[in-house]
Amino acid sequence: MPIEWAVALALAAAAALSAALWLRARRANTLARTRLAAASAELERLEHAFARFAPMELVERVIASGVPTHGERKEVTVLFADLVGFTPLSESVDPSALVRILNGYFERMSRAITAHQGHISTLIGDGILALFGALEANPWQTNDAARAALAMRAELAAYNAELAGEGLPKLALGIGLHRGTGIAGLVGSPELMQFTVVGTVVSVAARVQTLTREHGVDILVTSDVQRALDPRFAVRALPPRALKGLSEPVATFALLPQ
Amino acid sequence: MSNALADVEWDACVLEPHRDRELEAYVRRGFGTVPSSVAYFAPVPWVVRAMAEMSPAGSPLLHVDSVLADLVGLVVSQDNSCRYCFGVQRLLLRVHGVPDARIAKLEQGFLDAEIDPRAKAGLDFARRLSRAAPPASASDTQALRAAGWSSDAIRELAFHSVFTVYMNRLMTIAAIPFGPVEGLADFWPIRVLAPVMRLASRRRERRALARAAQLPPERARGPWAYLVAGLEGLSSARALRETLDAALASPVLPRRAKALIFAVVARGLDDPLAAREAGALLEETGLSPNETEPILTHLGSPQLDAIENALVPFARGTIRGRPLQLQQRTRGLLDVLSPEQIIEAVAVSALANAVARLGVVTQV
Repeated sequence: MPIEWAVALALAAAAALSAALWLRARRANTLARTRLAAASAELERLEHAFARFAPMELVERVIASGVPTHGERKEVTVLFADLVGFTPLSESVDPSALVRILNGYFERMSRAITAHQGHISTLIGDGILALFGALEANPWQTNDAARAALAMRAELAAYNAELAGEGLPKLALGIGLHRGTGIAGLVGSPELMQFTVVGTVVSVAARVQTLTREHGVDILVTSDVQRALDPRFAVRALPPRALKGLSEPVATFALLPQ
Repeated sequence: MSNALADVEWDACVLEPHRDRELEAYVRRGFGTVPSSVAYFAPVPWVVRAMAEMSPAGSPLLHVDSVLADLVGLVVSQDNSCRYCFGVQRLLLRVHGVPDARIAKLEQGFLDAEIDPRAKAGLDFARRLSRAAPPASASDTQALRAAGWSSDAIRELAFHSVFTVYMNRLMTIAAIPFGPVEGLADFWPIRVLAPVMRLASRRRERRALARAAQLPPERARGPWAYLVAGLEGLSSARALRETLDAALASPVLPRRAKALIFAVVARGLDDPLAAREAGALLEETGLSPNETEPILTHLGSPQLDAIENALVPFARGTIRGRPLQLQQRTRGLLDVLSPEQIIEAVAVSALANAVARLGVVTQV
């Protein structure tokens, strides 16, 4: 074979190899770009999804530079809700039915809370800790929280009718509302972290909720809430009661049907 | 091409489109075309005129580059989940020759989109103004200065950002159908026609610049004069003054009802200057501060008439929220308000959301 043919063949083979390598690299680049775009789109979606649980600025700060360790003092209204008599119920109902009942309950309560500008901070067993005015400053936070509590009452009544239709036991609810200053921030361990509010304002709401059994009502508000409430809300004053951790008895008001 | 807001839920529009040829001719002179939204707002002409006059077509940008202005429109509209405005901004970016791949990157988060630090600072500021949680302050304008922004450019950027907020609220609260705009943004011949459209757009900009008149000092007075003064030297000062005057002078809704909308939004956004202006308007209409306070604290009063009692909580709902929530509240007005009154209520709420976010121009 003349040397020219050999050179031409070698050049053609080199060109073919280069073309194949170029095509492969291009395919790899396209794939990498597609994956990067998908990952970025997913991150954007996550960012917006997380904004329902923590302030958007905080979500962005976490993404850009990690979890901030400082908190912020905020005026909030805390709603604490608990199912009355849930423990005996959990012992008498089939576990799969119980989970279905609970999930239906949480779905309806969550709808009532978010429709009134609140956000659920934590679910503790069958309990719900919801915050108003924690994500963004909200001058109408107390009225919002009271409306959310009334909406929860209405949602539960409708849900109980559904449960009765299925031959399942009815649920009963106790709700405590308190307004005050708490520390808002990301709290938890590296494995499990949540945006929440800590401080007396939360513990008072939780303890006021336990008083609903004692007073035989479903929604109780503290005098701090009552003072901030729209006078068009109907309330009934109840005798003050001592609460664990507080030196003075706490005056509460039952929130009546509107 | 799918877009970042493709999953955002959007209600059916409660308004009927109307043709107004005179108004369409006016809009075409500024934009070169008549956006599909114009027909929905045509029954209340000041709303359409405000769209045209406050836009860069009516208030030409001298200190902010037009592609950056479109980027501001894109990120703010995305943040507010306004599918209509987002479609418009994607269309404008394509007309300005920005490649599809870059637009897609911007939609996915501009932090990754190879944007220079000055532009990035501008986009951060625009989003901050739009979110107002907390409201933008002097420290935000200082960050812009550090990134190389002049005072005039900051004031122009602030106005353009809140103009986008105005448009987002207008289109979202009224649930203006976005299909035609999204379709046009993804229409492939746009790329081919873009150079011709750019030329026509530049010619319109030159005409707008020649037409743009400074606001005479004696006309700067009136409600929100501090904002008009904060925009002194920019053509947006005249546009804002004329829009506010037209909104307040319109007979469609009572002046007191409109003042209440401004007051509620100012309270919700914690802007004391805007709240003071709205309070002064309310006093003019016969509501003293003592009477106003419980109304604003509890968003209603037996002292208010049916329209006002519907509009006060409605205005609060326009401050934040997902489009479908806002649109369902608008639907709730159908029992109390006429279609023209709904248009004006939507537009005044949008304007209130813009002015209560613009106070930062007094701190530049």
